[in-house]
Formats: sequence, structure tokens, C-alpha cells
Amino acid sequence: MTVKRDARNEELVRLLFEAESTIQALLAGQIDAVVDPKSKTPVLLSKAQDALRESEERYRRIVETSNEGIWSIDLDSNITFLNRPLAKMLGYTVEEMLGKPLQTFMSQSTGARAALRIDHSREGGSDESEAEFVRKDGGALWGLLKTTPILDVDGQYAGTLAMMTDRTRHRAAEEALRNSQEQYRQIVETTTDGIIKMDDRARVVFVNRRFAEMLGYMPAEMIGESIFTFMSAAGEAIARGSMQSQLSVRPPVDTTFRHKDGRDISVNVASTQLVDDNGNRIGDLAFVRDITEQKKLQSQLMVSDRMASVGTLAAGVAHEINNPLAAVIANLDYMSDSLVNLCDGDKPRMSDAWFREEMKSPLDDAREAAQRVRFIVRDLKIFSRSPNEEPCGAVDVNAIMESSLRMAWNEIRHRARLTKQFGVVPGVDANEARLGQVFLNLVVNAAQAMPEGRAEHHEIRVTTRLEKAHVIVEVSDTGPGIPPEILGRIFDAFFTTKDIGVGTGLGLAICHRIVTDLHGELTVQSEVGIGTTFRVSLPVASDEQPLPVVTEIAPVIGRRGKILVVDDEMLVLSSLHRVLSKEHDVTTVLKAKDALALCTSGKRFDLILCDLMMPDMTGMDLHRELTSLIPEQAAKMIFLTGGTFTAEGQRFLSETSKEHVEKPFHPANMRAIVQRHLR
Amino acid sequence: MTGSVIVLRLYVAGNAPNSVRARANVKEICDEYFHARYDLEVIDMLEHPRRALDDRIIVTPTLLKLSPPPLGRVIGDLSDRKQVLLTLGAK
Repeated sequence: MTVKRDARNEELVRLLFEAESTIQALLAGQIDAVVDPKSKTPVLLSKAQDALRESEERYRRIVETSNEGIWSIDLDSNITFLNRPLAKMLGYTVEEMLGKPLQTFMSQSTGARAALRIDHSREGGSDESEAEFVRKDGGALWGLLKTTPILDVDGQYAGTLAMMTDRTRHRAAEEALRNSQEQYRQIVETTTDGIIKMDDRARVVFVNRRFAEMLGYMPAEMIGESIFTFMSAAGEAIARGSMQSQLSVRPPVDTTFRHKDGRDISVNVASTQLVDDNGNRIGDLAFVRDITEQKKLQSQLMVSDRMASVGTLAAGVAHEINNPLAAVIANLDYMSDSLVNLCDGDKPRMSDAWFREEMKSPLDDAREAAQRVRFIVRDLKIFSRSPNEEPCGAVDVNAIMESSLRMAWNEIRHRARLTKQFGVVPGVDANEARLGQVFLNLVVNAAQAMPEGRAEHHEIRVTTRLEKAHVIVEVSDTGPGIPPEILGRIFDAFFTTKDIGVGTGLGLAICHRIVTDLHGELTVQSEVGIGTTFRVSLPVASDEQPLPVVTEIAPVIGRRGKILVVDDEMLVLSSLHRVLSKEHDVTTVLKAKDALALCTSGKRFDLILCDLMMPDMTGMDLHRELTSLIPEQAAKMIFLTGGTFTAEGQRFLSETSKEHVEKPFHPANMRAIVQRHLR
Repeated sequence: MTGSVIVLRLYVAGNAPNSVRARANVKEICDEYFHARYDLEVIDMLEHPRRALDDRIIVTPTLLKLSPPPLGRVIGDLSDRKQVLLTLGAK
């Protein structure tokens, strides 16, 4: 009993003590909550309630003003909490999302992965990953997702807390960047231009496939090499010169690259300097266009335009030739009649007066007329002579202009008076045929600007003069002039104001190109109602040599020689025989083969005059044969040419540096040449 | 070792100020006097009212000493360190 009472007492003391300390704690304000004795539920004391609310409010504010979406899910993946920013990101209200399964708001793939992640979370793991959500409007939202497991008091998994940062815009930017990089890559790899990027020491950092193909390499073979490795010395000089330019946009240059197989590839290069943010040079970027085809086409166009020009003039030229030719024939006929009369007549009347009247003067007339034909043919040759289109040394502008004027004379004479004011000018570096083409074009254009039939009212004025280091050639007409709106286009290819079939529209464009290629300038001035002046300005030739004018050598009496003449033209053979046989022993053959046979049979000649171009065996073939069989006879050869010879012929003459005589030749000249060789 | 471990249970009411203080105080005392040799369970009465009833808790914060015997009970924010140590049987 006592024990029991003691125990009861002890319990009572303990309860009293508890009540005491509870009251004291309450008085001291150390209590937060009490259990309501009736409902048996805890009730927060008001002060604690305020404090709790305050602290909750603080957390709520942080959560609700966060830039991140925050939510929690329970064991069944249903959303138990979410902040307003998350709802806003996905275009929902908080209420619409609360209680729904999380997967409702995710893309299929992310939802599937989320399930796995929740399993991982159950095992207590935290996670960070990219996730794709689906907005209420169907749009995608990419987020960086961080998850942490929520554990209950017993440490059991009770759900997942998650935070998400919107990465949609980053992702869009990344994607845009990827797309634009891909776009650049496509442009770089499909463009027909070669592209090279070099570092500050001109080493190749990048080339596109096109450039590598252009030079026959693989791109990888070129990386790291100096760009100059792929150039000839001349190309390197041009490239270095261009790369020295500090201009941000350098003028494009025409140059060459060297193909792997050693060929030079003609290109046009547009390059630009690469600088870093501080303006320091870090390399160069170059765009390379293969212009081999373009160049080929250009030169073909030039030739065809020249042929067209000559074609238009053919009728006029035929007329020019026919006139003197008629004189030749008429005079020869007259002489022939006179000779017949002389033989048939009863008594010959061979007085000096008779001879001068009946023989000498018709002969002189015929010769003069023939001489005119010779000049016309020489002019024609200017326009078709050169087998290549390169400048061939200093040429005489006045002489070429004279030829062009003679060619165009038929076009000019019915339309205008021609006034020539030629100054004494030095030679210019040019190709005769091309420069002749320019002048002919300008002169014919000037003539065609004026109507036929009023020649006394119009004038074509051609002047040449020296201005500083340039030769100036001006062709002026008194035509209607060119309206200002057209003036800017007249050098454009295919621009023409002439009727279809009259002009190609290429003439002036090609003239411009030719003059520019010669480092000159072609300009135009025009006033409506007054006339037009085209002006060609060409730099004086750097190494001006005296032009090879026809030098008449005084006949020299010398020794008698043995001469072999080889030509497939009977008339040439007989005339040479006539000219030379008084002073020399002349043998003539029609075929190179016969000449070879003579030589190999032991005949020796002091001089062999040989036509260069002949059917079957050419003069070149004969020279080759003799060089190997009887070199001493090969050395005696000099060649006769018709002026127009093939590239092969020209190469042969320049390689063997053999003398050649152009047909037609002056008899005295020919005799002098022969004498010189016999000495 | 297990025998010498002191087992404690603290009832709190969420993050109410006295509860927060009580948690901090009991932790500090235990770390100081029992080092790692204590087992402290913190229970939020607001979330687990049934367990509070089972332990005949009427107010929070309340600290129970469950073992070793005798049972002890401290009420309030546990800022009276002397009284806490007396109840827990530490000198």
C-alpha cells in the first residue's frame, strides 16, 4: 500500500512539477503550442502563430518572386505545390496545375526520363538535367531542372522538390547559332569560288573544297603550308604586294596559282585583312575565282569581233583593191598591144620618146597601182597577222592608225572629210592587231555616226600627240553626239544602238578591255548636236626600240654565188630567177623534197632561199632534215614568208633566229640581201 | 557503447520561435556534454499530433528523456541550461 501510495505520490509530485514548469514556461513566453484538452489537437499560441506566419510569409515571398519555377510532387508524382512563376512559364494558373500529374506538363521523352529520375530520387539522389515542357499553347519550353528528394521525419522518401530555370531563349539562340554556322558552312562548301583563310604569317588555316580542287590537292594537304607554296614566283610577288595593302577592302587582282601538276591557273583574287578586336592583324581571307575559261572566252571574243570588223570592211577593201588592179591590168594590156604592134609593124619605131610613151610610163603606172594593192594587203595583214594576243613590243601608233584609216576609207569618204593631225610620237607597248582593232572600231563608229551623202558638212578628225609619258590618240566626229543617259553604258558588253545585224555590241567593250590591258585608258566625251570624241591614252613603251621600217638597202656589186630557190608558187620562182640570175647561178625547185634531193646528191649552194610554208614538206621540215644531214647547208638557208604564218612558224623563226624576207619584196632589196649573205 | 547512449525526443511546433530556439539549445547542450553519444528525435507536433498525444504532451516545446531511466521532461525553450542538465542526469 505504502509503496503504491508512494508511487502515486511520486506521480502526483511529478505532475505538479510539470504543471509548475509549464506555467513558468508559459509565463516566460517559452511555449508555442498547447494541446486543446477537448479536441486533442495542437493549437498555436497567437504570438507563435504571428511569428510562424511571418516566417512563412518570408519564405513564400522568396519562392513566389524567384525567377525559377519551383514545385513539389508526392509519391504518385502529383503536384502538391507550385509557385506562380512556374505556372506563368507554362501559361497556366496555379490552380490548373495543382494536383495534376507532373507528366501532363512534359514532352513525351522528358516525361519518360522524369519517371526514371523520380526512381533515382526515391533512392535519395539529387539530379540536374535539361527537360522539355509543353506550354498550355502547345509551345515547347526548355528548362534546366534541379531535383531533390523530400524525406519525412523517418527519413522515408515522401516526394520530390524541383526547381527549373527557363532556358528556351538560350536554346533558341544556340540553335540559331548552329543553324547559321551550318548555313555558312554550306555557302563556303558549295560556292564556285575558292576560299582561303590564312594566319598572320600567310600559312593556310582553312581552305574550302573548291579551292583545293582548283589546284588538285586535298584540303588537308594544304593546311599549315605557306600560301606562297602554291604560287609561281610571279604569283607570289603579286600576292605579297596585295597583302601589304592595309586597306580593309583591297582591289581584286588577277594573278595565278600553281596547280599540283605544275600548270598555272589564272585567277582573280579578292582578299581582305582579318583583324582582332584590338585591330591587330591576325591574317587574311581570300576569295579566288578561276578565270581560265573567262580569259579564253575573252580572247576568242576579241578575235571574233576583229573578224567581224574586217568582214564589214571586206566589201570596201575589195573596192580599194579593184581600182588599182584595174589600172594594172589596163596598163599591161596597153603595153601588150604596143608590143604586138611593134612586132607586126613595118618598121620599128624605137626612139626614146616612143619607148617612154609606149613602155616606161604604162609600166610605171602599173607598178604604182600594184604598190597600192600591196599597201592594202599589208593593212589587212595587220588585222589577222598575230597568232597570239600578247603585246609584241613597241609599235608605231601613227602607222597603225594610217592602216586603220585606209581600211575604213570606204566607210568614211561618203560621210565626212578626214583631217589627220599626227604628231611625232614614240612607240607604245602593244599588239599591232589588237591596237588596230581598237582604232578601226573607233574610226568606223565615228563614220557611222554621220549620214551618208553630206561629206562636205561633216568631219572626222584624228589626232595623235605626246602628253607627258602617254601617247594620246583622239578620234572626233561631228555626228549627233551621245545622250548623257546612254554615255555611261557605251562600254558595256552587248550594249548597242545600232540595228540588229549591224553591230555586235561588243566593239567598244572589247576596245575598252584591250586598252585597259595595255595599262591605258579609253574615255569618251560627247555633246548632243556637236559630236563625240573618243580618247585613247597609252603609256610610252618602256624599252622603245626603233620600229622595223622597210629599209631599202643600196644594191651592192659582189661575187657570183650558187643560189637555190625553193617555193611552191611558180610565179615567185620565175620572178626571183629573173631578179637574181644576172648576178648569180640560180636553181629553182617547186618542192622542198627536190631541194633535199639536190643537196643529198652532193650539190652545194652558197645560199638557199626557201618558202617557209609549203604543202607536204615545209621549209621548216627541210631545215630540220638538212640540219641533221648536212648542217653546213642548213646554215645557208634564209626564209621567204607570206606574212601570215602559223604559231609554229613564228616559234621556229624566233628559236632558230633565222633571217626571213617578207613577200612581196623589192627586187633591189632582194639583191642586196643575197649579196650580204654571200660575203 | 549503446548502453551509455542517451535517447531524447523533442516536440516542437513547426518553426515557431520557441521551437527553433529549443532545437538549437538541445543540440548545443548535447554536443557539449554527450558528444556523439546521444540520439535526438525532433517531432513537429503540428504534423504528428497523434504521437504527441501518445507521449502525453500538452505544450511545445517539450523535451523527453527516454533512456537511461529515470524518465525526464523539460518544458520551454531549454534556455535554462542548469535545469536541462539536471533532468538529463548530467553533472
